[in-house]
Amino acid sequence: MTHINWVSFTIVLVLFIVVTGVGFAAARWRRAEDLMHLDEWGLGGRGFGTFITWFLLGGDLYTAYTFIAVPALVYGTGAGGFYALSYTIMVFPIVLVFAPRLWSIARVHGYITPADFVRGRYGSRGLSVAIAVTGILATMPYIALQLVGIQAVLIVLGLGGNDVPLIIAFLVLAAYTLLAGLRAPALIAFIKDTLVYVMVIVAIIYIPTRLGGWGHIFSTAGTHLKATNPKTGKPFGSLYLSSASEWAFASLALGSALALFMYPHAITGLFAAKRRDVIRRNMSMLPLYSIVLGLIALLGYMALATPAVRAGVKAGGSNAQLSVPLLFENMFPSWFAGFGYAAIVIGALVPASIMSIAAANLFTRNIYMDLFRRDASPAHQTRVAQLISFIVKAGALVFVLALPKTFSINLQLLGGIWILQTFPAIVAGLYTRWFHRWALVIAWAAAMVYGTIQAWRTPAPGQPGSHFGASTAPVFGHVIYIAIAAFVLNLAVAIIVTLIFRALRVPDGPDETQPQQYLANPAGRPTMPVPAAATAAAGTGTGAEPPPIS
Amino acid sequence: MAQPHHRTRSPLSAAIATVLLLISVVGAFWVPFYNRPTPKLGDFPFFYWYQLIWMPVTMVLCYLAFLLIRRPPEPAGAAAAPAGGPDATLSPDGGETK
Repeated sequence: MTHINWVSFTIVLVLFIVVTGVGFAAARWRRAEDLMHLDEWGLGGRGFGTFITWFLLGGDLYTAYTFIAVPALVYGTGAGGFYALSYTIMVFPIVLVFAPRLWSIARVHGYITPADFVRGRYGSRGLSVAIAVTGILATMPYIALQLVGIQAVLIVLGLGGNDVPLIIAFLVLAAYTLLAGLRAPALIAFIKDTLVYVMVIVAIIYIPTRLGGWGHIFSTAGTHLKATNPKTGKPFGSLYLSSASEWAFASLALGSALALFMYPHAITGLFAAKRRDVIRRNMSMLPLYSIVLGLIALLGYMALATPAVRAGVKAGGSNAQLSVPLLFENMFPSWFAGFGYAAIVIGALVPASIMSIAAANLFTRNIYMDLFRRDASPAHQTRVAQLISFIVKAGALVFVLALPKTFSINLQLLGGIWILQTFPAIVAGLYTRWFHRWALVIAWAAAMVYGTIQAWRTPAPGQPGSHFGASTAPVFGHVIYIAIAAFVLNLAVAIIVTLIFRALRVPDGPDETQPQQYLANPAGRPTMPVPAAATAAAGTGTGAEPPPIS
Repeated sequence: MAQPHHRTRSPLSAAIATVLLLISVVGAFWVPFYNRPTPKLGDFPFFYWYQLIWMPVTMVLCYLAFLLIRRPPEPAGAAAAPAGGPDATLSPDGGETK
């Protein structure tokens, strides 16, 4: 791994340059009259149809880190890593229920972030700031992990000892994100997703023929998982779950499914859609990416069944994240391996760009504006967001280069626990105003503290006294996902405190939304937020859904 | 204020849609059911092919649910849509007028 594979490297470089060109050209794609508006820069003009949204959300949700970390988990532990499949089976049916309501209310009121909705719904800036801070905190380590995904590829390419390629990649990414906003990752997502589909289809058909078929892959992987892990004195894993870990598996899947569309970058993808039906239709089309994820998870077993990969992972300091890049290196001719590496690198750029935009939107709208400059003009907002998107990415870069990688991974683990704690305020708020705004704040704080402490107290297997060792911990006799335990606490506190506040007649905040606005189906691009009274009147029109607002 | 029941989507189709979506969630959540090696499909143990097969099944279930809860076709009177389905009539820049 110390010498550079020039053929692979050239392919990666050429594709990177193509993507860079597309990223800059995106500023002219579906050109807006005035790009200096957060609706344009931060949400691509809210004009993406079914097709673009499918590529955008697919490129956004299935990140490079997923492509590296899921097979790494399968490589290291076996069946446990397949919770990612179970999770992606559940996520779209769940999201199909509430996402259209979130889209409608955001479109009617011109909300750009989930925290915008919370402020409008509960009339509480305290709650909306809590939601915004949680979103930013959960997103930043996620961006850092995209860089970790790129690093894994650079190591296998023979460029691991040098930080310059990573810095260049991120400067370029920051430049076109700043210029083109959400249009850049939306356009690049077409390239990313095409590369990923081709790479996975070829890998899943070709590699088993090299390894003696699926039967051989499963049996060899099973044998290696049974070997004793010197750290724990137990087997590394198994092709099946132990009955004790079934709860952990199921709660990880459910918790991740509930949390996914609480992430700001996922909601940004939703809000950029043109119509309500675009969201609903996409939920039935996005599982196609889940099939790809399932096949990518299986690459972990293929890697385990390849002696050269096992040797390479060991030589790389038992870094299972190298397993997929090493598998490509050993199985494919250099040019196609380069193609696969490029899929991972570009696969990191799309979500990193969207995440930085989403974090910038949150900061601008819900921290900068709500707390400091309430009268910021659209152009002013956009300039702030552009600057923040740059700072967020630079911060992620410093994170990855200056701190141990485990730091980013621990924070990402915490981010998953944290982001689920915004679910009650956002999703319950789509249906009811029953919860009291301050009860939600208190419940959120309690769940954040509990989740953080519980994660800190969880040691890694075989290393007593270590911290952030796993995302699951024993709660009431079962080992379950900490985020789910915190979520249950969150709901319980929210209900109890709401009952107390209602009994004490603590005043509610003003609610600027109207019931039928949650079903609104306005067509085309938004103009200005419509006054609540006008839409309320319009809601009485036809028998079916309310007529378009426009 | 709006009429309380301004949506005439039948409660039955909403209920059916909910059940369709729940099937996927339960199917994935019920881990003890599929955490087993047999029956195999080709060389694939049950645990693996079961989860993979759910992806296309989920797509179908979500699509059926989408059809059920979609805005029903506009009654003849409201047919401002000269051609195509309920969303086929939009100009790219959003000129749906009623």
